[in-house]
Amino acid sequence: MTYDVYMHFPVIAIMTLFVGAFCVTLAGKREKLRNVIACISVLVPLTLLSLLIKPVMMDGQIIVYWMGNWEPVEGYAIGIAIEVDPLSLFFGLLVAIAVTASCIYSFQYIKQDDARGSYFTLYLMLSGGVMGIVLSGDLFNIYVMLEVMTFAAVGLTAFRTWNPNAREAAFKYLVVGSVGSTCSLLGTALVYAQCHTLNLAQISAILPGNLNPTMVLAFALLFTGFGCKSFMFPFHPIAADAHGAAPSSVSVLISGVFTKTGVYGIIRVCYFLFRSMGMTSVQTMLVFIGCISMFVCVTMALNQHDFKRLLAFHSISQIGYILTSLGLCTALGVAGGLYHAINHTLFKGLLFLTAGSVLYATGTTYLENLGGLARKMPKTTILFLIGAFSISGIPPFNGFYSKWLIYQATYEKAAETGNIAFALVTVICVVTSVLTLASFIKVGHSVFFGQLAPGCEKAKDPPAGMQLGMGILAALCVFTGLFPNVMMKYIITPAVNVVYNTSLYIDSAMGQGYAAEHLGDAVMPLMNGQLPLIGSWSPISWLVLFVVVLAAVFLVSLTGRGNRVTTCEPDSKHAVFFGGEAAEYSHISGGDLFWGFKHTMRRYLGFMSRVHTGVTNDYVLWAVTATAVILTYCFVFML
Amino acid sequence: MEIMDIVMYAVYILIFPGALFTCLFGLWLAGVDRKVVARMQHRKGPPVTQPAWDFLKLCGKECIVPANAARGVFMAAPYIGLASLIVTVLFIPLGGFHAFTTNGDTVVILYLLAIPTLAMILGGSASGSPYAGVGASRTMVSVMAYELPLILVILAVGKGATPDGYYFTFSLEQITSVQELFGPNLFDWRLIPAAVAMLLVIPCEVGQHPFDVGEAETEICEGPLVEYSGKPLAVFKLSHCIKMFVMTAFFCAMFLGGITTGMLWLDVVLTLVFCTVVTLVCMSLLHAISARFRVEQLFKFFWTVVSGFALVSLLLVWFC
Amino acid sequence: MMLANYIGAVALVVIGFYAMIAKHDIIKIVIGMGLTDYGLNLMIVSIGFNEGGTAPIYTFGELVSGMYFVDPVPQALTLTSIVIGACVTAMALALCVRIYKEYGTLDAREIRRLHG
Repeated sequence: MTYDVYMHFPVIAIMTLFVGAFCVTLAGKREKLRNVIACISVLVPLTLLSLLIKPVMMDGQIIVYWMGNWEPVEGYAIGIAIEVDPLSLFFGLLVAIAVTASCIYSFQYIKQDDARGSYFTLYLMLSGGVMGIVLSGDLFNIYVMLEVMTFAAVGLTAFRTWNPNAREAAFKYLVVGSVGSTCSLLGTALVYAQCHTLNLAQISAILPGNLNPTMVLAFALLFTGFGCKSFMFPFHPIAADAHGAAPSSVSVLISGVFTKTGVYGIIRVCYFLFRSMGMTSVQTMLVFIGCISMFVCVTMALNQHDFKRLLAFHSISQIGYILTSLGLCTALGVAGGLYHAINHTLFKGLLFLTAGSVLYATGTTYLENLGGLARKMPKTTILFLIGAFSISGIPPFNGFYSKWLIYQATYEKAAETGNIAFALVTVICVVTSVLTLASFIKVGHSVFFGQLAPGCEKAKDPPAGMQLGMGILAALCVFTGLFPNVMMKYIITPAVNVVYNTSLYIDSAMGQGYAAEHLGDAVMPLMNGQLPLIGSWSPISWLVLFVVVLAAVFLVSLTGRGNRVTTCEPDSKHAVFFGGEAAEYSHISGGDLFWGFKHTMRRYLGFMSRVHTGVTNDYVLWAVTATAVILTYCFVFML
Repeated sequence: MEIMDIVMYAVYILIFPGALFTCLFGLWLAGVDRKVVARMQHRKGPPVTQPAWDFLKLCGKECIVPANAARGVFMAAPYIGLASLIVTVLFIPLGGFHAFTTNGDTVVILYLLAIPTLAMILGGSASGSPYAGVGASRTMVSVMAYELPLILVILAVGKGATPDGYYFTFSLEQITSVQELFGPNLFDWRLIPAAVAMLLVIPCEVGQHPFDVGEAETEICEGPLVEYSGKPLAVFKLSHCIKMFVMTAFFCAMFLGGITTGMLWLDVVLTLVFCTVVTLVCMSLLHAISARFRVEQLFKFFWTVVSGFALVSLLLVWFC
Repeated sequence: MMLANYIGAVALVVIGFYAMIAKHDIIKIVIGMGLTDYGLNLMIVSIGFNEGGTAPIYTFGELVSGMYFVDPVPQALTLTSIVIGACVTAMALALCVRIYKEYGTLDAREIRRLHG
């Protein structure tokens, strides 16, 4: 196929989702037809974007599509562009994969709900909005898509009529989210006032040289706006509420995809539009926000009693990793951040889906009411463990590789700048990772292991459709963990290269030489795709060694006497040990775990728990304060 | 040639420094430890081979799976833990002897060391016993406690100075080769606090007295292991012994590497002697002279005192 | 003249934020959101305004270089923004109705089942 054919793929990918959203409504109550339409509408973008991997990622083509064929006139972009460079495609693929897996899952999952027709309409609107953001080349289009996405997400949060908290969560989400939207719209307007264009490529060419106070204001506003969409630190409580209330299949989108648009926006704003990432002040800001998000949210997660709320806080904590890594402004940092972004979508999606399966099987996600599900839901348990190991960075799963890249990136940054603070960032990352492990031990213990909780006797593994959705994500978790070299070569490195070569992006939209003319010497040098690693980790060789040793250990253990393994029988011999007393139901539930840690940190944890009041006004206050602080910071340190 | 390579790798993996040697040396270390502790307490103590006999004896016992247990995880956990420990050994250079150490990375080892502990926590958790639940929770708290000082130590060791300038590395191979040129890190005054911190981390990571909150026999009946019997229990006990070896070997690679005599076998023997000495210093001595910490004391101790030591080292390395 | 517009816009945004922060009645919070929106719309329209410019309505034949008119793009943006703002308000009010049914109150301080 030629370049001309590929050109139409991105716009078709976006349109399919939106058209699908309306067609689903036409299907009415015919459930089969509706599912088929939904399935096609998510599979088409996935296929189209996968086909783009070859030309965009490998051959380095940047696809520019001018809507209505309004091409730039005399160096001014008057039309609306869809521009797909490897970075956009990277996020687009991420979106397509998560949307597909979650859609397959939700066919069965939402059988418990009423209003199933509007579910898929909103679902596809949300997907289309996200897809529109990451593939668009127009700043205002991004804002509109952002609103479409937020709208659909709020609708889906409030969607569960039987969940008494859903409306409250949706309202908070809408109100606090509107602060972010206000910021990004104002930022967009200011950028337009300065550049008289809304095309990303053209702005990237014109802006970087002229950083006047208005533009600093615009930068701060856009940064806050996209930060709000990624739920970074002071915006995080709404995410926790929304995830807790939304159906799990939607949580996958909100956590895995929605937040990524924020991350994508921050990359575009910081690395492309304003090219301000070279400034130490911006790096410090991003790393600082990332670290706070990471640590605060992981400690909040340890405090939670609800499975999905806990996962929601972890989601922000992982976003903290991504922001920290992107804030380093090194090639390795960007690579680590992007790798973690893809991993975060996969494992967090998987975990939310397992939480959904638990809800589906038992009717609750409250940790204290669950227990011992491993014997009733063995497949879900295995999938959960894969997700939990991935997020806590246990080798050889995918979370480990990206975290390891991030540790190296932060430590190398410390080496490069001689600033010990970056070494401490590494320490915070590691500690966060351990605390993540701890909270997943908590979930594992209180939901899947231990004694079978009363009321869970009838639980069983979810139907095949739901398992398929989870299985896809689990398989991808394992794949990205075991073959990081493949991922780095074909997916991550092209994306990192384009981040460091904005001129490519500008030139392909505005014509050859446009970037050089406007940016002059500011064009950063081309990277050759070699990332300087200071350590070494090859998952495959570890796995081979592990399998050999495990086989040896297993063979040896078969020899000799005493291979009797007594089967489970409900007599006194097989009851658990109670110090001689008769066995009774005594499950160590999630809230009882980690006393030593909680006791030592009780002041901090109590304080954090108290300030998350749940009152909308307080959260708005946080959001506005954060905006004000970021504005002030930018004015003081960027001018 | 290819056949020879495969045979050589098989020997590395299965015999030396892999499975067989690791197990034997671990059991021997545990025996020495017990003997020395006994002598310090004016007891005669068991023979050095006692842990090995215990292991064999346990292997012959019946294995009971409790009715409450999640059977798959319960049975698989000990074997996975053991195998991952043995693989970890292969990544640690042993006195100039490199089996697969091109892959040796301090941060990777930090994470690989978490797998056996995780296996124990999950195994205990899967047994369905409340004692095991408490034990798993406590073990996890001790993991949280020691990871902070350990990463600080790793960062402090990772930044070193050569006459040509600074280097930053996570690669164990590079750390040892630099020590070969400029003498062991232990004799660098700036790294002494880090070494002290590391010596305190070792018993906590291994789960040795006085940091054995997770398995406290007198309080929670060996915590995660309470429901285990027969071969799985034997494997857990073996893992415990091997962990002593892994941690001390890790210490030796980071702080006592690069002492060369010119003969490879002598270097290896020397490293093993160092391992034994480190075991005696940080485990037997502490065991004999101190009582068990409470959980929250342990956590506080590691996040303040031990981390403080490690941080001092990091600051010294950075600014001196 | 434009300065008055900008001051008015900022004042509206500030009043809106104030309502969202300080007013506990959730209907007032929604009004605050609306005010912020209006402020923003005023700001955007003002950005595109050129003093003495005419309305940007021309056919191709009439358009010659050197004509002086206000920038049409911000007006288009404002239109979109107004539509979005109206939707947000409608949705928020719908949620308010449901919340009032479920919680029996409109006080934000009592609508906090999700906290901590």
